[in-house]
Amino acid sequence: MTGTGIAIDGVGMQFGGGQGVTALDGIDLHISAGEFVALVGPSGCGKSTLLRIVSGLLEPTSGRVDVSGKTPDEARRDVDFGFVFQQPTLFPWLRVLGNVLLPDRVLGRRNPNRGPHREQVARELLRDVGLERFEDHYPGQVSGGMRQRVALARALSYDPKILLMDEPFGALDEFTRDRLNLQLLDVCNKTGSTVLFVTHSIQEAIFLADRVVMLSSRPGRVTRIAEVPFRKPRGLEVRYEPEFAALTGELRGLLEVEDEVELARRQL
Amino acid sequence: MSSRERSRVVDAALRSLPSLAVFVVGLVVWEVWVNVRDVPAYLYPSASEVGSELLAEGPSLAADDLRWTMIEAVLGFLLGSFAAVLTAIVFVHAKFIERVLFPWAIVLQTVPIVAVAPLLTIWFGFTLQPKVIIAALICFFPVLVNTTKGFRAISSQALELMRILSATRWSIFWRLRVPSSLPYVFAGLKVASTLSVIGAIVAEFTGADRGIGFVIIQASYRLDTRLMFAGIALSSAAGVVFFNVIGALERLALRWPDARLEQ
Ligand SMILES: Nc1ncnc2c1ncn2[C@@H]1O[C@H](COP(=O)(O)OP(=O)(O)OP(=O)(O)O)[C@@H](O)[C@H]1O
Ligand SMILES: [Mg+2]
Repeated sequence: MTGTGIAIDGVGMQFGGGQGVTALDGIDLHISAGEFVALVGPSGCGKSTLLRIVSGLLEPTSGRVDVSGKTPDEARRDVDFGFVFQQPTLFPWLRVLGNVLLPDRVLGRRNPNRGPHREQVARELLRDVGLERFEDHYPGQVSGGMRQRVALARALSYDPKILLMDEPFGALDEFTRDRLNLQLLDVCNKTGSTVLFVTHSIQEAIFLADRVVMLSSRPGRVTRIAEVPFRKPRGLEVRYEPEFAALTGELRGLLEVEDEVELARRQL
Repeated sequence: MSSRERSRVVDAALRSLPSLAVFVVGLVVWEVWVNVRDVPAYLYPSASEVGSELLAEGPSLAADDLRWTMIEAVLGFLLGSFAAVLTAIVFVHAKFIERVLFPWAIVLQTVPIVAVAPLLTIWFGFTLQPKVIIAALICFFPVLVNTTKGFRAISSQALELMRILSATRWSIFWRLRVPSSLPYVFAGLKVASTLSVIGAIVAEFTGADRGIGFVIIQASYRLDTRLMFAGIALSSAAGVVFFNVIGALERLALRWPDARLEQ
């Protein structure tokens, strides 16, 4: 399957009318099909809001988004998106396996992965995220990080063309995170999905993405788009390359400047 | 029975021990009070007298009158709860209808049931209908309020997930609203189960030729306080049983952790 590109043009989002919060301001970002883009920015700068706009859950107050010739809402209705929310958002009355199978149940004939083996597919996804022994547990019986992994398996279960991921690995230990990062790269390599990935970790962003987009806060604006110089497939060892350290340092510097600006603004 | 099931039964018995102890203490205080104060037996029968009345009359009362009362109560409960759930479904999908009708649901709730019962007796006579209707009326409101609340108790995130999956209204209703409302629905049903018995008895007061309400009112004309107490004891025991049947269904239906609402 080939991915689908996204064009974000002059998107702005204002909450609560005239003197409300400006969450996003003049965001321009073109993502090509199959590209992996990471979004990094301070808390509250509008990353989740941008994902909601791209997926058609929220109408921007200005600008427009194009998803391969469709509006976000049309793309959403065609189930082009897989969304891993910032909270796991599992159904507590369904067991772990049932939650991964939920998209199949809801999509019915529209699920490209439909077939006699779909339960097998779900089990394999759970094994990939390290939860094979927890299929029959309820979400209330597993840890927060495990729930987040169930949500990831659920989003992957129907091969969406575009993956929107809102800090999916925030609640994980470093070791599990590394493993899932590799797995995610592997999945994207196979499916050719386009990914928009929010994270607070600059290292994670650089390791995963083809491009890293830095956002400033209030209003959320693009401050820098960095090309990541490493070719895919990548192994964990790229993190020890000098270029990796250099890019990490540069982007971290941007965030710190951002922090100082924010501090200075508050002191005025 | 496996040993784990047995230990669960033992656990349940141990947990209800304090409640039983309170009951026994109550009986003893009652017995002692009646004997010490030497009150007239026709006004205040002692616990043991009521007990022997229950032993003598209980089986036939239970087989006949109580059975009728419970048939009325259960039919009313089913009718009222069903109507309430349907109304809640309409409310959740049409905010406008809710705005128009909900005030009337409150009015319906404030209408004194005792006053409506004689009216229904005039219309329907000494039949089953008035009792079932009264029991249904009394069940309607708690189930309606809880179910509506339950249908709304879904997180905006869960709804967003369903929208990402391009789920139909139908799918959102069955896969999201219904399961997440169940804890609330059962909370309402438990309240309604006890109220339905009261409703049936109140309706029997105003016109019946059988049922526990009928027995109690007849006994009152004869100042047969022993029989009245026996009737009261039987009907509340039946109410407790009904409540626990719904509670057992709740445990069957709500199997996921932390599903049941705190009572
Ligand atoms: N529904 C809403 N109504 C009003 N304001 C909102 C709403 N959603 C978000 N906001 C505001 O928009 C801004 C951006 O929120 P958003 O959740 O997109 O931030 P974020 O970058 O995802 O932050 P974090 O990293 O903490 O998740 C915040 O200031 C927030 O208060
Ligand atoms: Mg966020």
